[in-house]
Amino acid sequence: MKDFAQEVLGAALACGGDFAEIFWEDTRASRMQLLNSQAESINFSRLHGAGIRVFVGLNAVYAYTNETDREGLLRCAAQVASAVREQKKTVLTLPPFVSPQLPPPDRIAMPPSGVESKRKLDILRAADSAARAVSADIKQVNCVFADIEQDVIICNSEGLYVEDSRTRTRMACAAMADNGKEKQQASDNPGASMGFELFDSRVDPAATGKKAATTAHLMLHAPECPAGVMPVVIDGGFGGVIFHEACGHSLEATSVAFGLSEFTGKLGQKIAADCVTAIDDGTMPNEWGSTRVDDEGTPTTCLTLIENGILKNYMIDKLNGKRMGMPSTGSGRRQSYTYAPTSRMRNTYIAPGNDDDAAMIRTMGDGLYAKKMGGGSVNPATGEFNFAVSEGYLVKDGKITTPVRGASLIGKGSGVLVNIDRVGKTMTMDQGMCGSISGSIPANVGQPMIRVKQMTVGGRAKE
Amino acid sequence: MDLNIFLDKLFAAAEQAGLEAAEAYMIEDESFRAMATNQEITQYSSNLTKGLSFRVKADGKIGYASTEAFDEEAIGWLIRSARDSAVLCEDTSEQFLYDGREKNPALALEDEVGESDEKLQFVLDVEKTTKGYDARVQKVGYNTVITGRESVRIVNTFGMDKQYTATYGAAYIMPVASEGDSTASGFAFQIGRGFKVLDAEKLGTEAAEDAVSMLHASPVASGQYRVMIHPRAMTDLLETFAPAFSAENVQKDLSVYKGKLGEAVAAPCVTLTDDSLRADGLASRPFDAEGVPGGTHAVIQNGTLKTFLHNLKTAHIDGVQSTGNASKASYSAPIRVAPTNFYIEAGEAGPEQMMREIGDGLLIKEVDGLHAGADSVSGDFSLLSKGFLIKNGTIERPVEQITIAGNFFEMLKAVVAVGSDLTFPQGTFGSPSVDVGKLSVAGK
Repeated sequence: MKDFAQEVLGAALACGGDFAEIFWEDTRASRMQLLNSQAESINFSRLHGAGIRVFVGLNAVYAYTNETDREGLLRCAAQVASAVREQKKTVLTLPPFVSPQLPPPDRIAMPPSGVESKRKLDILRAADSAARAVSADIKQVNCVFADIEQDVIICNSEGLYVEDSRTRTRMACAAMADNGKEKQQASDNPGASMGFELFDSRVDPAATGKKAATTAHLMLHAPECPAGVMPVVIDGGFGGVIFHEACGHSLEATSVAFGLSEFTGKLGQKIAADCVTAIDDGTMPNEWGSTRVDDEGTPTTCLTLIENGILKNYMIDKLNGKRMGMPSTGSGRRQSYTYAPTSRMRNTYIAPGNDDDAAMIRTMGDGLYAKKMGGGSVNPATGEFNFAVSEGYLVKDGKITTPVRGASLIGKGSGVLVNIDRVGKTMTMDQGMCGSISGSIPANVGQPMIRVKQMTVGGRAKE
Repeated sequence: MDLNIFLDKLFAAAEQAGLEAAEAYMIEDESFRAMATNQEITQYSSNLTKGLSFRVKADGKIGYASTEAFDEEAIGWLIRSARDSAVLCEDTSEQFLYDGREKNPALALEDEVGESDEKLQFVLDVEKTTKGYDARVQKVGYNTVITGRESVRIVNTFGMDKQYTATYGAAYIMPVASEGDSTASGFAFQIGRGFKVLDAEKLGTEAAEDAVSMLHASPVASGQYRVMIHPRAMTDLLETFAPAFSAENVQKDLSVYKGKLGEAVAAPCVTLTDDSLRADGLASRPFDAEGVPGGTHAVIQNGTLKTFLHNLKTAHIDGVQSTGNASKASYSAPIRVAPTNFYIEAGEAGPEQMMREIGDGLLIKEVDGLHAGADSVSGDFSLLSKGFLIKNGTIERPVEQITIAGNFFEMLKAVVAVGSDLTFPQGTFGSPSVDVGKLSVAGK
């Protein structure tokens, strides 16, 4: 593509505009499902296409196509140009392409396309039998193996030309406990920016199956959670979804640039309790949300969002950066060529603090201990968030008493951040798929155990 | 290469490879999207894409592979991958490729998708209306118009080669209203067969009203409340729990309705219908993802569970006819079962009358976090919600920062009344206002 990319960028700018970019993608993915110990479906797919984007002042025109030969891309570029129709044309002279100096790519020891599908199914079988071994109540086990190898070329009218490869592997195990009257489901879904070596070093599929089944079994026999306002201790790992929803999305330039975030204009101000420091890091080797360059070709960064309660940085992509008069933080991400990029989270976590986990619960009085969180969502304009507790326990007088099911946590982002009063010492991360206007992207959430002084807990136990 | 040449080569290669049967499912999608903020078009996108999913039968089992590249390399890769997929598959239940020889119903699925200029003007007008409606509406987000034309074609070795084209137009906006220390966001959405049905004035007004009406909202005290659910929230719940009516989930024991056909599973005032032929239905189509024509099926009739939704495989297992509900989540996804136009039939009373009957309670207009706070198998939900407090039969004040919790399938049994105001807020799922009796509410 390199030989005709300049021509395509030129064609995209033919009717004006001050920046043009091509995002080219060729992706191979496989997805296999093992349902109740049987290979239910195996699906191989190849995504292929390119998107062309032009900035006109603070606005953007985007078009994409599957036809990535010279003619196809020129047609796509002409379509973009026809939508630009700038009154005053300034013809840009395009500088020659230069490839930026980048850190070496993460080592992928066993690229997924080179691994026999049988071995991937065996990973799922290990999870399936471990889940079933937990209890006779485990009646359904649904395991999914997914891997993806995405090759991208990103080039633009500023002379940038970058090629990158992203490899990701993930497994998911959902176990359902069923006592004939009721059903409860729980899952565990570990993954990384790795190939099949994920299962040598990081992930034990049997442990994944056991974890999912243990929670499902426990929740089947748990009473409903009572509703009310109470202190809540949230464990590490996927507990980090609280920061992701309550605050992370509202720090994305996607909403900040238009004044649609409750944190607009608050750089340098105190928005969280002193004990809260939060990081968004796209550079962590082999992590689920890491890439060498973002989907606009900008090298990713390790960004401090909040330091001891003070707002330090927003997550910014190129276009919103122009709108805000600030540089990109390497946060421009997209699901695929069918989406224009925007600022998104990468690996986002609350940094370790100084508090002792056991003491946090011992001194909380009556409340809820949320050991495992499900997903959630947020409205960045108002900061209203919600998320589900997939494994919760009631705490009475500082002692964990009984597991409870069906709890959800709600609140407003700005409120919960100032109400965090304890942050533990050991940070762990878990993997999620995050949805927003540029599609569904892999992102890590993480935190140590934390305590929130007061939260509204939703549940359906009748008083 | 040209798609027809590609198909000829692909089927020739499939025959040469000795595959028992093969089918290509293709989608061609032409889409347009524009977004505006502060009277400027901030995003504009216009696209043309196609994808092909190849389904083969080998060893009596089904395999899948899909591509968006249409070159020589793709042909060999599709054959190899789809065959590998079939060989590895362990689902030995009988699989069918359909011959599709019958005549399909004629449906009017195409309308004008509009010129770019008028669509750009449309989003600018929506913003103007929204902001002009009330001085307290100062910002708008996600002000978007979308149009599209999608063609589906299925070709297989049993002689099927059929296609249809459908168009759509949609627009939405999220304004933010502020007054004092209160900030509230609103939302309005329109969707229809084309661009012409979209109404900027109506959309902008509705969104602004929605935002302003929620200013100074506050929680209610925790407890049990009589709840009326607005069509907007009810269709979100219906969509979340619809998988329980799929025969595939029933057969896999992932539905509470297993073994319940013919039984009363809802209040007598509840009739739930799947209709793939509905005249203005956004999910209407002459045939499903297997090429099978659909129809109108009462899933629950006056409270009684009448049928599940089927594709060819699940229908064979149950010894019934397919209901024409074979579905693919995307063109590349395997064939599953999903509803088409799926809705609770309208009742007699208007929403005002229903509120009068309720007296004191809550009107829930919006539920959030369905992907996490609702379990589609068990029916349990605990969801962040907003709406209004009903006092003495009328709306007293806006309510936010509460959760409602219950079990959807139990709730259907407890329905007190179904309203006359059936709407399809986001296109394919429909509901009137529903008085669901008592639910647990967490507030202050």
